[in-house]
Amino acid sequence: MYNHDGQDIFVIDGHTHLWDANPENWRNKYGESWAKCFYAYHSGFSPPEAVWPFDKFCRYGAEVMVDDLFRTGYVDMAVLNSTYLYEFYKNGFNSHVQNNVLKAKHPDRFLLCGSFDPRDESAGLDAFRKMVAEYPISGLKLYTAEWRGDSRGWRMNDPWAYKHLALAQELGIKNVHVHKGPTVYPLSMDAFDVRDVDYAATEFPELNFIVEHVGLPRLDDFCWIAAQDTNIYAGLSVAMAFVHLRPRYFGEIMANLLFWLGPDRLCFGSDYAIWTPKWLIEKFVAYELPEDLKQEYHVDLTLEIKRKILGENAARLYGIDIGAQKAKLSRDAIGVERAAGVSA
Amino acid sequence: MAYTVSSEFPAGFDGTAILKRLDLVLDPELDESIMQLGFVRSVQVRDSQAIIALQLPTSWCAVNFAYIMADDVRRALLAVEGIQTVTVQLGDHCAADEIEAAVNDGQPFATAFPGTGAADLSALRLIFLRKGLLVRQERLLRGLRAAGCSSAIICGLRLCDISVRNGIVLAELPGAAPVEAGPAEVLRRYLDRRAELGLDCARTAQLIVDADGKTLSAEQLEQHYQDARMVRVSLEANGAFCRAILARRLADTLGLSSRPTAGGPYVQS
Repeated sequence: MYNHDGQDIFVIDGHTHLWDANPENWRNKYGESWAKCFYAYHSGFSPPEAVWPFDKFCRYGAEVMVDDLFRTGYVDMAVLNSTYLYEFYKNGFNSHVQNNVLKAKHPDRFLLCGSFDPRDESAGLDAFRKMVAEYPISGLKLYTAEWRGDSRGWRMNDPWAYKHLALAQELGIKNVHVHKGPTVYPLSMDAFDVRDVDYAATEFPELNFIVEHVGLPRLDDFCWIAAQDTNIYAGLSVAMAFVHLRPRYFGEIMANLLFWLGPDRLCFGSDYAIWTPKWLIEKFVAYELPEDLKQEYHVDLTLEIKRKILGENAARLYGIDIGAQKAKLSRDAIGVERAAGVSA
Repeated sequence: MAYTVSSEFPAGFDGTAILKRLDLVLDPELDESIMQLGFVRSVQVRDSQAIIALQLPTSWCAVNFAYIMADDVRRALLAVEGIQTVTVQLGDHCAADEIEAAVNDGQPFATAFPGTGAADLSALRLIFLRKGLLVRQERLLRGLRAAGCSSAIICGLRLCDISVRNGIVLAELPGAAPVEAGPAEVLRRYLDRRAELGLDCARTAQLIVDADGKTLSAEQLEQHYQDARMVRVSLEANGAFCRAILARRLADTLGLSSRPTAGGPYVQS
């Protein structure tokens, strides 16, 4: 909960990880360069006081994460992504099995995302059913650039991807977080292109497709498809980080998103642990859209819209009644501790 | 932001010719010079051989774009008189070995990654040449709009109505005094790309056309402008991201600069 001028803002962090990028878990040079690439994002865009040493960044652990999100970071609930990357990490980067340990400890705080890989074809459908039967899966996180043997990725409109999405719909899993990366098969194509999401969103109108990082580096293509399909949403992680180092570009990005999608399809995400939510939320709530952008785009970023972005939009996607959830969270271990801290 | 490029040329060799050539090589995704972006770390010429070291913002910059930049660097240097062989080094990149082996041997992208269904990269290049056209045109449109030109006036302008005086673009308007519409460089970059895409550049051609070269009505112009503006914001934001990450990387590995700060010397907006 973030308090601004006496008003409470309910916060759902739509993009978090509990990863293991420790050198002992690196399978090869890719595991190392992956971690270092993330660390460059972290150290390049965080304010100095929020920069961690590299070894902490590689493995911070569940307790640090819970502190950074819920105790100091104003977050009430978090979407917990699963990212497997077995080609780079011996035990995986953060599988749903590992993540569920944290979810089980704080069941009302985390929304656990599982995944599927269409390249597993019919065996993938069986694994998907099993995952949903055995784990409290609220959504899916799909990473289309994941390597698998000789394959360098897949597309959302592949026939087997559709079969998995149909199964998601059948099993009642409505929220599909899509993340593009630098590789896709065949390698000569633009791997960051998000237009395959357009096909999937049209084919499955009952599912919600949250495109992470607002499609960056393809913000333009993203705005284009999101303007066509109302079941496409913007996950704001990465874009959020501009608020500190490049506030003008942050304003231009937000103006375009508000212009093309409106205020009801934008969802906050920190991309923890690449960035910590505390400074992102403080700077975002304090951010004022520059006057020239307000006039040129005829949009604004009011406190009411910030509340939607920080929590109300994600709550709607995940079927969360904010009033009831607040009451529930006030009774869990962290809620009781927070209340005691406030009254003490 | 001026980046330091370490260079070594034989006595009597015109090193500036090389640096000028390199300045024309673009990051295709960002439509910006790789020199201005700071991707060139060092250039050495020994006898007739050039060795050039690049450093991209991350190890995970897309392999197809990394290949394009490395290949364009090689071609640019081979065009310099006195250079017969070129060795491009990609440094810490996830596919450095494959890309260097292919590029330095003059082999196409598909050869670098056999068995991955990789075709040649001309279709990918074209997508980004067209995005770049829109971005370059949007900057010109901003200048015309800021000068008070209506959509109808802008759509009526032909190339012969535009001139440059004292580094400023001048637009001749029907029955009115000419207006200043931004820096000449903006117009030059737009016209360069328009020619590169093979679009009509005759004096009688319309100034503003879409990426296929089709003219726009005054009613269509607003939507066209909004689309082009979105592409510009996307490319500029990506450029800002790449610069910040590269600055951090160079500070860590080479000790070349301190970390960027808000409002610091890297701000490009």
